[in-house]
Amino acid sequence: MTSDFDLDEPLTFDVVAETVGARRALIVRLVQRGLIETLDGPTDEPLLPRRAVVQLRRMQRLRRDLGVNFAGAAIILDLVGRIEQLNRELAEMHRLK
Amino acid sequence: MAAKIKDYYGVLGVKRDASDNEIKQAYRKLARKFHPDLNPGDKVAEEKFKELQEAYDVLSDPENRKLYDQYGENWRAVKAGAGAPPPGWEGAQRSARGAGPRTGGFDFGDFDFGSFRSQGAGGFDIFEEMFGGAGRGRGRRSGRGADIESELELSLEEAHRGGRRTLEMQVAEACPTCGGTGLKDGKPCETCRGSGQVLKPKTIEVNIPPGVRDGSTIRLAGQGGTGSNGSEPGDLYLRVRLRPHPVFTVKGDDLEVELPIAPWEAVLGARVEAPTIDGKVELKIPPGAKSGQRLRLRNQGLNKRKGGRGDEYVRLKIVVPKDVSPEERRLYEELQRISRFEPRS
Repeated sequence: MTSDFDLDEPLTFDVVAETVGARRALIVRLVQRGLIETLDGPTDEPLLPRRAVVQLRRMQRLRRDLGVNFAGAAIILDLVGRIEQLNRELAEMHRLK
Repeated sequence: MAAKIKDYYGVLGVKRDASDNEIKQAYRKLARKFHPDLNPGDKVAEEKFKELQEAYDVLSDPENRKLYDQYGENWRAVKAGAGAPPPGWEGAQRSARGAGPRTGGFDFGDFDFGSFRSQGAGGFDIFEEMFGGAGRGRGRRSGRGADIESELELSLEEAHRGGRRTLEMQVAEACPTCGGTGLKDGKPCETCRGSGQVLKPKTIEVNIPPGVRDGSTIRLAGQGGTGSNGSEPGDLYLRVRLRPHPVFTVKGDDLEVELPIAPWEAVLGARVEAPTIDGKVELKIPPGAKSGQRLRLRNQGLNKRKGGRGDEYVRLKIVVPKDVSPEERRLYEELQRISRFEPRS
């Protein structure tokens, strides 16, 4: 059984594009717009963390199902993450009361 | 008792003569409310969204909608070539909801994502349908199994120490009787009730390394949906959810715990036992400790993924006895008499 916990595993743009079924040019464009963050690598070639695959798929789903663009999807995911964090903290506060 | 036919129009809350645009608007409105990416971990929303998606898949396609209007839920079998279903077959596909051939797919404009709709390659939750089929139609990775996303709930101790967890899942596979077509001898397959898929139990062993956190994602390569025509299987992504701990509060790599102490322990100082994630340790309370004061137990926090540990913070809480004996009361009164302490000065 292979389990891979390293979502920081560096992937090339081509691999990410292939995995999510998108064109490389789209991945480049999303990175240029700051919607996906690259890794600081030892080489000149920018790399993406594996978590970008998960993020891209969520963005794809939001685009498909809700009709939002990629910038909107990125903001939505960011806000959902923050809400989740706040909900956890709220639950924790209630628990400690 | 007759099985209830699913009303896709009712699911979307539109009239039967609704326009394509009205159907799309209704779907989008409800999808915003129930989308799994906007309601992570909410199984009710996930189920509701599955229904929405199924309804929209059918009603957004003119051909499918026409068949559905004419034949109800049996439209899939009709479309697959069985002709009008025999009397009494209504509802036979109910248990295989959404597992038939999909003809959905959306216009992605200038973005070449193709269709993300699954080809029915298997999976056990809604994300399978969403992840499946990436890139197909362009000759890349065609037939690769669908990626699956699910949640894995862990105790704080499991996340700290790591361990091994066995997951039992139901994964859809092509029906062995009909080969995935849903039809056998021109009739709906009895094994899969015309869906073309059967659910098979699958056991997966997950090695949990020490140091995973709430929100971490674990990838199990090759444990997603089965690939078609010998293609590689998809991956399984497990999102870690930590159960709230009755004693500890997690702050990143650190733990926080509240420790009740007696007034005299606060004034005089004491050595007491404090709980840690690995058991009890002795903690020295300095004389003059205050309520709310935090004492650090270095390296008693959670294991980190890449080595090392966080710290534990013990928050002191001075508590007073509810009932005091006559002797205790006398001593408190004596203390009151002789003490020069002015807490409000």
